[in-house]
Amino acid sequence: FRLNIEGLLVYFPTLDAKGHGVLEMPSGTGKTISLLSLIVAYHKAYPLEVTKLVYCSRTVPEIEKVVEELRKLMDYYAKQTGAKNDFLALALSSRKNLCIHPEILHANIVVYSYHYLLDPKIADLVSKELTKKSVVVFDEAHNIDNVCIDSMSVNITRRTLDRCQTNVETLQNTISRIKETDAAKLREYRRLVEGLKEANVARETDMYLSNPVLPDEILQEAVPGSIRTAEHFVGFIKHFLEYLKARLRIHHVVQESAPQFLKDIYEKVCIDRKPLRFCAERLRSLLRTLEIADIADFSAITLISHFATLVSTYSKGFTIIIEPFEDRTPTIANPVLHFSCMDPSIAIKPVFGRFQSVIITSGTLSPLDIYPRILDFRPVTTASFTMTLARTCLCPLIVGRGNDQVAMTSKFETREDFAVIRNYGNLLLEMSAIVPDGIVAFFTSYIYMENIVASWYEQGILENIQRNKLIFIETQDAAETSMALEKYQEACENGRGAILLSVARGKVSEGIDFVHHFGRAVIMFGVPYVYTQSRILKARLEYLRDQFQIRENYFLTFDAMRHVAQCVGRAIQGKTDYGLMIFADKRYARADKRGKLPRWIQEHLTDGSLNLTIDETVQLAKYFLRQMAQPFRQEDQLGLSLLTLEQLQSEDMLQKIAQIAQQA
Amino acid sequence: MDEEPERAKRWEGGYERTWEVLKEDESGSLKATVEDILFQAKRKRVFEGHGQVRLGMMRHLFVIIDSSRSMEDQDLKPNRLTSTLKLMEFFVEEYFDQNPISQIGIITTKNKRAEKLTDLAGNPKKHLAALKKVVDSTCVGEPSLYNSLNVAMQTLKHMPAHTSKEILVIFSSLTTCDPANIYELIKTLNALKIRVSVIGLSAEVRVCTILTRETGGSYNVILDESHFKELLMLHVKPPPASSSSECSLIRMGFPQHVIASMSDQDAKPSFSMSHLDSTGEPGLTLGGYYCPQCRAKYTELPVECKVCGLTLVSAPHLARSFHHLFPLEAFQETPLEEYEGERFCEACQGELKDKSVFTCLACKKVFCVECDLFIHDTLHCCPGCMQTDRTS
Repeated sequence: FRLNIEGLLVYFPTLDAKGHGVLEMPSGTGKTISLLSLIVAYHKAYPLEVTKLVYCSRTVPEIEKVVEELRKLMDYYAKQTGAKNDFLALALSSRKNLCIHPEILHANIVVYSYHYLLDPKIADLVSKELTKKSVVVFDEAHNIDNVCIDSMSVNITRRTLDRCQTNVETLQNTISRIKETDAAKLREYRRLVEGLKEANVARETDMYLSNPVLPDEILQEAVPGSIRTAEHFVGFIKHFLEYLKARLRIHHVVQESAPQFLKDIYEKVCIDRKPLRFCAERLRSLLRTLEIADIADFSAITLISHFATLVSTYSKGFTIIIEPFEDRTPTIANPVLHFSCMDPSIAIKPVFGRFQSVIITSGTLSPLDIYPRILDFRPVTTASFTMTLARTCLCPLIVGRGNDQVAMTSKFETREDFAVIRNYGNLLLEMSAIVPDGIVAFFTSYIYMENIVASWYEQGILENIQRNKLIFIETQDAAETSMALEKYQEACENGRGAILLSVARGKVSEGIDFVHHFGRAVIMFGVPYVYTQSRILKARLEYLRDQFQIRENYFLTFDAMRHVAQCVGRAIQGKTDYGLMIFADKRYARADKRGKLPRWIQEHLTDGSLNLTIDETVQLAKYFLRQMAQPFRQEDQLGLSLLTLEQLQSEDMLQKIAQIAQQA
Repeated sequence: MDEEPERAKRWEGGYERTWEVLKEDESGSLKATVEDILFQAKRKRVFEGHGQVRLGMMRHLFVIIDSSRSMEDQDLKPNRLTSTLKLMEFFVEEYFDQNPISQIGIITTKNKRAEKLTDLAGNPKKHLAALKKVVDSTCVGEPSLYNSLNVAMQTLKHMPAHTSKEILVIFSSLTTCDPANIYELIKTLNALKIRVSVIGLSAEVRVCTILTRETGGSYNVILDESHFKELLMLHVKPPPASSSSECSLIRMGFPQHVIASMSDQDAKPSFSMSHLDSTGEPGLTLGGYYCPQCRAKYTELPVECKVCGLTLVSAPHLARSFHHLFPLEAFQETPLEEYEGERFCEACQGELKDKSVFTCLACKKVFCVECDLFIHDTLHCCPGCMQTDRTS
């Protein structure tokens, strides 16, 4: 792959400079394999510089794919060098093959999920002993800020509190029982007075990855007296719990910052900031002392203790929102306390701080400059690659109008408009008649999809579509959706043809690939802006504006467009694949939306394919599909997107590659 | 109201063309234009066809014509159905011209059903008449790939193993409505060594890709009408015989053509045996071909004797089929710049303008692309070699 070589040339400075990088590469072009092979090669060349590769991906199937690639690479190495390689690669995918760290220490390559590195609760267990000289790669990282935020946010409902209550009672019982039998055991006193010296020493000597939940100051201090003994601590938690319960008994929305919350808690129940900060650590110590094996039962109380520690530690970057009911069901009381992190850099900071090279990569990372800003780091390299193709295998089209010239848009004011819905229906109908096998259509939300489909049914559009293809719908029910997916694939396979109606940000839009005939066309109905009325989002936008000078609109558009890119990117998996990408909203034609698409899509988006009518779209699509159906052999790609060894070694080709790399 | 869509389509036609030109400009040096790829593919097929492979001489071919709703689409003028049928007529003629001892049958599929239009037969007239009749029929519903393949298979599976069994599907729709799992049928077809090829009129459909790949056929999608014709003509040439097809001696009769005139006293007018299955007026004729085995009379060849089942052919028929056994070797292709010599084609005497020239390996004569194709597709012998043969 030609792309690989360009990629390699760009990675090199990243590794050399021991810095961080942001790279965008279209999916299916061998992103994974090129990264792996480069780092393995680098490791072979400079074993002292890079000792370990940590490869983080998002889902279990993706991790498995990485392992498969890695296996191929190892086979290739063995074949080329003839020597048995001494690499130990380790994949931590699901819970059933979770392993404990001694092995990780020795492995050269570790493949696992983001959460093992980002989520403070798990990272502590798994990743803290990774050495500083590791190279960390985050694959499919277009959502990394959300992962960071999720890992630091806490949601407390009444049920959590109830379960916590039972936890406290169990603790109390256990303590009193142990007290009767083995009083000596409860003398953790010494250790607690000593503070967390041990952890502190470890951190100073740079053995562990620091845990964002365990701030530095805590390590310097001893656990305050008020929670040193087990009974006192349980009592303390009980107090805190009562306070939270009282706070949840509200009838209107409350939003406050962490300091405000602390002040309030001090005034109401006289709980000081200091003991709160030690909650998480103290609970852990207690659980260890009591020798409680099944920690999963105590998830509620652990959650509360984490909340206590976080809220008292960080005065910035977090907000507390208490809502008496959900927005959708304003009549049913279901109070929730959102303790929401607004700054993704908090969770990822230790990762950037610790490892010499962190590479963030995905098929869709545009615009590249926003990631360093919101994650607060300084990349050595940022690059976006396009595909070098022997034929134009993707065809992005922006449909802005119906045949009646009515603008097509999912804009809030016009989304109920009869003409808009009818035009969307006509678009799907026309496409179903000319696109073979599978079409995937994305809507902006479940509610919007339900409305539109109901309306299509009334207008008889649905019936017409069904003459061409079967229709499957993604629902919020996971089992139902996977059933629909299975049937969808079957219908594509045996020539009946099918349409999958799904939702951007839903399960289908992330992680499920529609290779070849499973997705010959992707249609985006509307721009999938996030639900802007959510208070958490509002708070986050405000924070972004104040802290990073990112305007609300800019971020919202960025967020919407990365989901669009994800959705349409599902259809193209590799160079032999081809697919139509139809953006059905006139707003896509604007420069601010278009400019945020990945470069590999943008470069195929010509002025001629903006703001089309349905008829024009049909003509272009027909032509494209016929072109793509022409025989396409591997030899055609040679010299263009595939290079033989001789071509690779030739001088002018090397120059050409260097030139391209420079541009990138 | 009726004229409205017609006009809209014409306008789009113009639009399409301007865009086509634009497209090529933009693709620049990085991407090979589709025309280039197509040209190479054309050449490649010539080469493939002319390796030292055995070609089937006796072919049994079923053509399945999709007549579903999608055939009413007007992207071929005046619509897909009319255009297809017109080309089919041409195809049938060419087919019998090149493969005189082969047979053809036509099946149409619409409304989820398959209907046999003509049975396997070696007489072009009947097929042409049937094709003319279909033009007026309406196109409704979905096609059924399964049903139509099944109909073809029922007949083909009884054909002897030394013949080449083929199905050609002209598939306009993008969907098929099947009563059972088509992949089972594909397995059966594969086991019966029936080769299925598909010409798609709209886009690449997965099930056709698999169907053709599994059964060893070809799958092409048309770009426009001329490309359609080109693809259809590819099927005129017999495919390589599968190595496992058994070789056997076939009994054939070479009937004498007896010409009798009215003035001849002995001549008695008689019916041809072929009137048995034709609905047309049976005519009394004087002369004809008489089966050497049973003396049954036929007016046209080639035919299978209705009485004794003997294949009746004429010697020129056999000779014409014969060249498929010894195909003309492919000419050597050299770029025009490297070619030094007189710049005109040996065959058409035209100037060599294309980017490559073709040299016959035997007589070293040079030809242009068009003549190269003509020599290999139609003449089946090199004019240069013929000349030298005669002079020596």
